Amino acid sequence: METISRTNTEALPKYGESIIEISSLCKSFGDNYVLNQFNLTVRRGENVVVLGKSGCGKSVLIKCVVGLLKYEEGSLQVFGKEINSLKQKELDEMRARIGFVFQSSALYDSMTVRQNLEFALRRHGKGKTKQEVDQLVEEMLDNVSLANAINLMPSELSGGMRKRIGLARSLILKPELMLYDEPTTGLDPITAEEISNMMLAMQHKYNTSSIIISHDMHCARLTANRLAVMIDGINYAEGTFEELSKMNDPKVNAFFKKQ
Amino acid sequence: MENNPAETTPAKKQSEPIWVSVLPEEFRDFLNEVGEIVRFVMRFFREVFMPPYELKEIFHQSYEIGYRSLPLVALTAFIIGLVLTLQSRPTLARFGAESWLPAMVGISIIREIGPVIVALVCAGKIGSSIGAELGSMKVTEQIDAMEVSGTNPFKYIVVSRIISTTFMIPILVIMGDAVALIGSFIAVKLTSAISITLFFNQVFESTDFSDFIPAFVKTFFFGFAIGLVGCYKGYNSKKGTEGVGESANSSVVIASLLVFIIDLIAVQITQFFGYL
Ligand SMILES: Nc1ncnc2c1ncn2[C@@H]1O[C@H](COP(=O)(O)OP(=O)(O)OP(=O)(O)O)[C@@H](O)[C@H]1O
Ligand SMILES: [Mg+2]
Repeated sequence: METISRTNTEALPKYGESIIEISSLCKSFGDNYVLNQFNLTVRRGENVVVLGKSGCGKSVLIKCVVGLLKYEEGSLQVFGKEINSLKQKELDEMRARIGFVFQSSALYDSMTVRQNLEFALRRHGKGKTKQEVDQLVEEMLDNVSLANAINLMPSELSGGMRKRIGLARSLILKPELMLYDEPTTGLDPITAEEISNMMLAMQHKYNTSSIIISHDMHCARLTANRLAVMIDGINYAEGTFEELSKMNDPKVNAFFKKQ
Repeated sequence: MENNPAETTPAKKQSEPIWVSVLPEEFRDFLNEVGEIVRFVMRFFREVFMPPYELKEIFHQSYEIGYRSLPLVALTAFIIGLVLTLQSRPTLARFGAESWLPAMVGISIIREIGPVIVALVCAGKIGSSIGAELGSMKVTEQIDAMEVSGTNPFKYIVVSRIISTTFMIPILVIMGDAVALIGSFIAVKLTSAISITLFFNQVFESTDFSDFIPAFVKTFFFGFAIGLVGCYKGYNSKKGTEGVGESANSSVVIASLLVFIIDLIAVQITQFFGYL
């Protein structure tokens, strides 16, 4: 039977104040009601994995969190502030504290890997001297084991490499809150585990909170303090990995069956 | 359940005044678009003066936009100058006014043909490349990625490009004018023994600053319009590959149209001020 390699819950027994508070969130595109009264809370230092079928609205959820999409109803508070009512400047300040890993990586194609990583760093004035910036960039690339890709263009990278660069680019600002959109999808099991461990390391080192969207149950088991299952636009079930895997509900069980 | 995610943002259910809902759909869409463009322009003017300034990117874009367009502009201008001269000669010859050829061609090129031809060539080359580049950045979520990192993509992408086109098109026009006049000189030289000094003397004797200044001023507007349209279309590109093609295409069409409209307005204004 499965032996859970690390029960992450024990490592961090208690969490701080809530960083994200989502209640009754509604978001639709025309007649397509994607989020329908969705609730979720994420506290400081906590990793929450969101599971859900493809196309159920997971990416839409975290895009609402970061203000890329406007929601219609309900409340979504990040760092205690309602996202929809923030002014552009306040939103930008908040976004500097949030890291976002795109499902599609979204690397800037006209820039090298180095410039990709430097882009936000320079504009937020982190890393005063060139030396400092270089050091941060190299350190981050080392973390994703892509130090030798520093001068390549995104078009010269493989899908998995892009994914890791995308990750490095968001982590370099040392955000308090990370939103990962399928960080390990499409990676080999070894790299996927490395990435999962890195996400854990970030959590422990900087007390980062995260929402991790993933289909990769191994990654979910490693990284999650808590999981939420999204079905039909609502938070259908919530709990630790063990709680959910023992749950007697066919819809929830479907996610844990393959284990 | 793949219902096309093509921008089906919910129909805005703001309470509209009666007279608005009476208007035909197409006209309302048109007004909406005009409103969006006005907002876009206002945002440009708000952000262009606010620090931080993306100077490095402005220089980079000026190089891409200006220097890279030079061969095409020069070639087109040369051919236009040559052909215009060759075509005008028989008509002037019929009135025995062949010696006016340099003056006539010079005035046409400096006042009208140079600026408009160069602007149209640039609307095609620069407008489409900006439209396609920004369109694909939008589609691959690169603009969103800049936005979520708390940096200002509008300033980095849009403002730098519009500034570059606004200042590069006038420079390209001046160079285009010069090359067109050289083309014209070669055409004159084919049939009459005229020195280059004499040719340019004749050109400059018959033109003065009142020919040059209004023609030069309007090129800044041409440049602004080309950059603006490319950026607007690309920045608001629809999702998908089609969206990119569409933004490139409509950038060229609208920018070319705007060049003519601005030209028309500029002519009216210059006439009004008596520069005839
Ligand atoms: N910009 C948009 N315009 C219209 N509809 C959209 C838009 N973005 C997403 N949708 C719709 O919202 C729904 C949820 O999309 P979303 O990308 O959040 O899925 P997902 O849960 O992330 O799926 P996957 O696991 O495949 O990434 C889909 O039905 C999609 O069609
Ligand atoms: Mg998704």
